[in-house]
Amino acid sequence: MRYDVTLQRCGLSAVFDLKGAADALRNWAGDMLPPLPDHPNTRTGGGGVELYHIGRKHWLARAPLAQEEVLEAQLKPDACPAEISIVRVSDTLSFFRITGPDASQVMAIACPLDLHETVFGADAVTYSELFGLKALVLRCEGGFECAVEQSFGDMVEDYLTLSCRQKPV
Amino acid sequence: MLLIPCPFCGARSESEFIYGGPVRAARPDPNVVSDADWVDYLTVVPNPLGPVQEHWWHARGCGEWLTIWRDTRTHDIVEAPDEIE
Repeated sequence: MRYDVTLQRCGLSAVFDLKGAADALRNWAGDMLPPLPDHPNTRTGGGGVELYHIGRKHWLARAPLAQEEVLEAQLKPDACPAEISIVRVSDTLSFFRITGPDASQVMAIACPLDLHETVFGADAVTYSELFGLKALVLRCEGGFECAVEQSFGDMVEDYLTLSCRQKPV
Repeated sequence: MLLIPCPFCGARSESEFIYGGPVRAARPDPNVVSDADWVDYLTVVPNPLGPVQEHWWHARGCGEWLTIWRDTRTHDIVEAPDEIE
């Protein structure tokens, strides 16, 4: 019996890796980015751009691929001050979307995180593991999104596809 | 399996972490200590029967380095011993 989920491999997103002190990033980015999330492993959004607070002085900005060039022109990674770092990493991540009533069941196979809503809320986003690989995990409408390094994309797609097929009876 | 308290992410599965070895004494000045003490510093790793302070790296998480006290008899994460605090 199969889990009641829909597995979708998403196309590329525009992703920028941002490092540095929050004030320095705010000064540089101004209103080009949504407000920086206050709490660890949470996200904010606005204007089609989402900001993920994934580590101490470390954020990911994600937007639809169509916005990549505009965002890069606004953030000016080549010209940013030395105390911050902005790097375009759009090509490095493969995103997957697992949605449906059994999405949490499939995620429980893949990932050691406690993904109950009381612990991993609607705005939660974090790096964790997916089948032993470092992966970005976040909630989306009706399920979860996860991203692994691009070169593991095919393998993780196979693993997720197999996991969806193995519902115990 | 250990649940290791990351200062950024909170309690996370041990599988997200990489062991970084025990916390060692500060590096002595090799010109001041005896040869025996210097060799001890270089080669003897703390391995007590009881609480030991260890480095762990949240490699598959936020990337934070942290230290914890782990009891080698029970594998539990424990408070720092009184004489240390």
